[in-house]
Amino acid sequence: MTGLLEPRTGRWSPRVGDVTTQAEPVPPGAAEPDDDEVGRRFAAGDEQALAWAYERWAARVHGMAVRAFGPGPDAEDVTQQTFVSAWTGRAGYRPDQGPLPAWLTGVCRHKIADTWAKRDRQRRAAEAAIIEAQARPTGGPQPVDAAVADRVLLLGELDRLGQPQRGIIELAFFADLTHAQISERTGLPLGTVKSHIRRTLERLRDRLEVDGAALHA
Amino acid sequence: MPHCTPEDLGLAALREPLGPDAAEHLAGCASCTDEVGRLRRAVDVLTVPELAEPTAPVAPPPALWAGIAAATGVSSAPRPQVVAASAPPAGPVPDAPPVPLAPLPAEPVPLRPAAARPLPPEPPVAPVVPLRPRRSRLLLAAAAALVVGLGVGAGAVALSGREDEGVAVAAAQLDPLAGSDATGTASVVEREDGTRVLRVELAADAPAEGYYEAWLLTESVSGLVPLGVVRAGTEEFELPPGIDIGEYPVVDVSVEPLDGDPAHSGESVARGLLES
Ligand SMILES: [Zn+2]
Repeated sequence: MTGLLEPRTGRWSPRVGDVTTQAEPVPPGAAEPDDDEVGRRFAAGDEQALAWAYERWAARVHGMAVRAFGPGPDAEDVTQQTFVSAWTGRAGYRPDQGPLPAWLTGVCRHKIADTWAKRDRQRRAAEAAIIEAQARPTGGPQPVDAAVADRVLLLGELDRLGQPQRGIIELAFFADLTHAQISERTGLPLGTVKSHIRRTLERLRDRLEVDGAALHA
Repeated sequence: MPHCTPEDLGLAALREPLGPDAAEHLAGCASCTDEVGRLRRAVDVLTVPELAEPTAPVAPPPALWAGIAAATGVSSAPRPQVVAASAPPAGPVPDAPPVPLAPLPAEPVPLRPAAARPLPPEPPVAPVVPLRPRRSRLLLAAAAALVVGLGVGAGAVALSGREDEGVAVAAAQLDPLAGSDATGTASVVEREDGTRVLRVELAADAPAEGYYEAWLLTESVSGLVPLGVVRAGTEEFELPPGIDIGEYPVVDVSVEPLDGDPAHSGESVARGLLES
């Protein structure tokens, strides 16, 4: 989805939103394809591209999962689900919108947020069970952790952004770059970066205010 | 100066510094500040370190691929040595993003982690996170105490009005809780410079183990603010600025074991309701 967060390797086009050329067939016995070629073949449903993607980026994805949950079953589930969802949802990957590893990172963010939401559901169920076991009057259902629910909501909204808006806001949110650094990184004029940031933040604000958990808990 | 541009409000929501004119206007304009706050909610929801760009790669266990193959039905397979080689051996990460540290509780600490940033770190391998046992005991003890205890002592202490250093604005009698013979009084004193202190006078034997600690609680015991260690005699604790004693009207004294755990032990020895 985003081409902005990745180091420019291989033949990846340096400008946001540039459309790459069609995949070229790789002759048998040729050297391994570069990252862009893996991305195009992944999108086209080539099973070998999933294995290549795993070889190249599973450690990156798993590193994120381990950072969020520590080593263990939760992190492993996140990594596994990231690749399974990426493969089954590959129709949603557009090679002309960004490199595959950046898209996998976005899928991984969803899986992390989903895991938080699952834990929050389990927490509430456990607390409800404790309260029930003690036969204590309750103040109604256990509150949803609003931040957990809002993360799922807003990551979904990011998926709906086109380029270059999505890449710009991801650089601001997840790479902690200033608008000047984003302008430098992308080659987009400062004013363009600022106005994309502004419009995206307003869009996210509206989404939170209309559907956010905090107001409806 | 006119209102900030929408672009500047966006940058301010991202905590980027503005130019001097815009910054000065923003500092004095409620409407611009309000809009920054609305935009910033989304920023705060998403800019947590767990969702930041990947930093240190970690090779997944070799068996992990089998699950992916089973779920997708693909027949290709990655070469395990290539996967392993894609992650350098564990070591310090040079450019890990700064991880915001949770501030010490200078403000009310809810009993349950609320929807605040940063996300509370989860234990690595615990799918179910029940209430911390110590805290649930506190809830039970507190609920019982509020039913039987409060109201009896509340308001029984006459406000002494002007104290030697400041004005008493609220006071409470501290009544013993079950199994304790600790008693005392507490008052909130506003000093001339506007700061407020809680003055606690405690009559109690030294605990067999640990120490006494003073707290302010909400009436429903859904939140608590630690104030500090209490010894027998008179102690003063400066209140965190901005705390509303109407919201945290219950003075609580607990016995805390020397276990390094900053949470309330659940064992309160005396408690009273502040009344103005
Ligand atoms: Zn203004």
